[in-house]
Amino acid sequence: MRTQTRQLIGSLLVAAVIVAVTIAVVTAKFGPTSAAELEALKERQEQRLEQQEERLEEQEERLGDREDRRN
Amino acid sequence: MEDLVERLARGNITEVKVMLMSVALALAGYQLVLISVGYGKLRPRFLDPGPASQAHRASGDAIVVLLVVVAVMCLSYFGLEEGAFHAVTGASLLAVLAVKIVVLRWWHAAGRFLPVLGITVFLLLAATWLSTAGAFLA
Repeated sequence: MRTQTRQLIGSLLVAAVIVAVTIAVVTAKFGPTSAAELEALKERQEQRLEQQEERLEEQEERLGDREDRRN
Repeated sequence: MEDLVERLARGNITEVKVMLMSVALALAGYQLVLISVGYGKLRPRFLDPGPASQAHRASGDAIVVLLVVVAVMCLSYFGLEEGAFHAVTGASLLAVLAVKIVVLRWWHAAGRFLPVLGITVFLLLAATWLSTAGAFLA
C-alpha cells in the first residue's frame, strides 16, 4: 500500500475515533435513560395514580350507598 | 415532516440534535488540524499535505450532511422558536458553508478566501453549538 493511501486511511480512522469518543462523551452526559423513556415512566406513574383515585372514588360511592340503605 | 423527525429520533429530538451537532463540532476541530497540515502550517512527520487535504474534504462532506440533517430537524420540529441568536448563527452557518462549497467546486477564482470561509464556518458552528447543545449539556 502506498504511503499516501496509508496516511489517508489513518486520517479517516482518526476522524472515526473522534466521532466515537464524542458520541460516548455526550451519551454519558445524557445518562442511561432517554427522554422518551422518562416520559413513558412519568405517564405510567400518572396512570397508576389515576387508577388509584378511581378505585378510592368507587369505594367511597359504595360506602355512601350502604349508608343510604341503612338510613 | 415533523412526525417523521419524531419517529426517527424516537421522541428524543433535542438529544439527537445535540449529539449530531457535537459530532459536527468535534470533526470541525479536527478539520482545522487537517487543513493546517494541508497548507503546510503544521508539518508532522506522519502526515503529508496531500492526504491531509483529502481527509479534510471527506470529513467536511460528512459535516455538511450532519449540519443539513440538524437544520432540517430544527426547522421542521422547532421552527424558529429556539431564539434569535441560535436562528441567526444557524442560518449564517449554512449560508457561509454554501458559499464555501461553491468556491471549492466552481468558483475557483475566490479560492484565496477559503481559509477565512473555513474559520468563519468553524466559529459559527461553535456559536450555534453553544447556543443549544452547550446549554443543554451544561
